Amino acid sequence: MFFHIVLERNMQLHPRHFGRDLREKLVSKLMKDVEGTCSGRHGFIVAITGIESVGKGLIRDGTGFVTFPVKYQCVVFRPFKGEILEAVVTMVNKMGFFAEAGPVQIFVSNHLIPDDMEFQSGDVPNYTTSDGSVKIQKESEVRLKIIGTRVDATEIFCIGTIKDDFLGVISDPGTNA
Amino acid sequence: MAVLHLSSLTADSPVHSSSSDEFAAFLDAELDSASDVDEVESGEAEGEEEVEDEDNDTGDGDGSIDSSRSKKRKIELIEGAVDPQSSVSRGEPAETSGASMALDVCTHPGVMGGMCIRCGQKVEDESGVAFGYIHKNLRLADDEVARLREKDLKNLLRHRKLILVLDLDHTLLNSTRLADISAEESYLKDQREVLPDALRSNLFKLDWIHMMTKLRPFVHTFLKEASSLFEMYIYTMGERPYALEMAKLLDPGGIYFHSRVIAQSDSTRRHQKGLDVVLGQESAVLILDDTEVVWGKHRENLILMDRYHFFTSSCRQFGLKCKSLSEQKSDENEAEGALASVLEVLQRIHRLFFDPERGDNIMERDVRQVLKTVRKEILKGCKIVFTGVIPIQCQPENHYYWKLAEKLGATFSTEVDESVTHVVSMNDKTEKSRQAVREKKFLVHPRWIEAANYLWRKPPEENFPVSS
Ligand SMILES: [Zn+2]
Repeated sequence: MFFHIVLERNMQLHPRHFGRDLREKLVSKLMKDVEGTCSGRHGFIVAITGIESVGKGLIRDGTGFVTFPVKYQCVVFRPFKGEILEAVVTMVNKMGFFAEAGPVQIFVSNHLIPDDMEFQSGDVPNYTTSDGSVKIQKESEVRLKIIGTRVDATEIFCIGTIKDDFLGVISDPGTNA
Repeated sequence: MAVLHLSSLTADSPVHSSSSDEFAAFLDAELDSASDVDEVESGEAEGEEEVEDEDNDTGDGDGSIDSSRSKKRKIELIEGAVDPQSSVSRGEPAETSGASMALDVCTHPGVMGGMCIRCGQKVEDESGVAFGYIHKNLRLADDEVARLREKDLKNLLRHRKLILVLDLDHTLLNSTRLADISAEESYLKDQREVLPDALRSNLFKLDWIHMMTKLRPFVHTFLKEASSLFEMYIYTMGERPYALEMAKLLDPGGIYFHSRVIAQSDSTRRHQKGLDVVLGQESAVLILDDTEVVWGKHRENLILMDRYHFFTSSCRQFGLKCKSLSEQKSDENEAEGALASVLEVLQRIHRLFFDPERGDNIMERDVRQVLKTVRKEILKGCKIVFTGVIPIQCQPENHYYWKLAEKLGATFSTEVDESVTHVVSMNDKTEKSRQAVREKKFLVHPRWIEAANYLWRKPPEENFPVSS
């Protein structure tokens, strides 16, 4: 799920940046520092959308660096247990399959793939129904439900299921291509 | 996808400060409970509703407060009643107490990233077997491995496939560190442009891992043909980054191995390889490897390969004094080399395994038995007398060459009588060696037996003369 939230960060800036475009420098450094990072509490920071406030700078003794507390608005992405996500399949094996929804990696084990879908090995490993009408392979888009999440400093990993109503393949790369 | 504009919410509501820490705590609390609710009443926008309820809660207090509160009570109730983790550990059936949660007792068949792959619960347990090559944090319980193997076997046999585990070094290729390249073979890196095509296309200089790798002749044909009969794994004592580089060279299209690349760190025992990390039934697995000792438990699955030494450092490492193939500017014969002959063996074993004439249940067949049978045909009809080979104090039946020849289907005699076909000797001066010459029997060096083992056929006897 995406959230638009306000976060705060202390930004250290080298004195050479002090000038008319100080604010600009702060913002670009902030973007570089936080976009694409992950925190256990907020999830994955997708994009900074605005600056709420830049507090008073605090000069560091000796170095001349100045620390500014910056409050910024950003869009974060954090999956939750029970959430339905659309994801792209990245790898299929006899254990199940891996999929990605943006920065989040999700594993769906074969326990949580409908029983009528069987694993087929071969050049393009896949799960297919016996009549061949539904197929999950690399690049397939699936709708899945998150049943467990683990958020680390650099990545978000989830356990998902497609064994429920309205879950499963949305588009099959084989038929679209 | 729902996007919540929570910044406005925080501004309006006196309860929530906009400080990021408090806000995060608020988010966690709200959404964790929201996700638990979802297990009862699955809904895409559940989290959003919850947050909005909270907003109302602090506002004018309309009807949604009650629904929100009752929801939370329900959560607590369910959490209290169904604690699958504790009930599982006590081995009691889960108490579902009428809740729609219907969580059947999960035995946690596998754990990935600290979560059960079936129920999503956090699991701390470190038991079971690690399958790091499938996912860095994957562990599977023994029952689950057995279940997967059983399921896999049915699937494989339906597709008329068996499993083939392939070693890398000296079996499919030969690698050397760039630093170990001898002066005599330095043309390989310095004069790349003038190398013959067949060599150049199979020789790779991998600067980022400081290696040079030469693929064994016939390897591409081998993999292509074998892949139609077998599901293939790579299993190397090398490290993972090396294994993955080699897999890329062997399988640039990524169609043969997928995630089935097993490296040293994946083994469950040091200095050993084991089929315990292969998700295939042992009765359907064949192994190609040049090293027998690492397969302590699975020798019956093993087809031993003649070592491919292309580089000088490789020869030196194994104490071979002769010039390397690279120094001789030569290579193993493509059509008659080890991979070509072993492919024929694999095809034959596959054919025999799936023979429609066989009356037995296919699920009960064992490729190890087939391998044994095929091996016994190699020296079938050969009756051997050993002379000057087996030390006097040694029980002949326990001697290495005796056992090897027996495995290859030979029979034995102590006297050079009518029925004897071969006299195997290290010395042409022994009485039996002379007798062999007199009576026009084949007189061969014991290496003839080893050659038969690698070639999977009776080697020409004249190539194994016995000197004094
Ligand atoms: Zn579980």
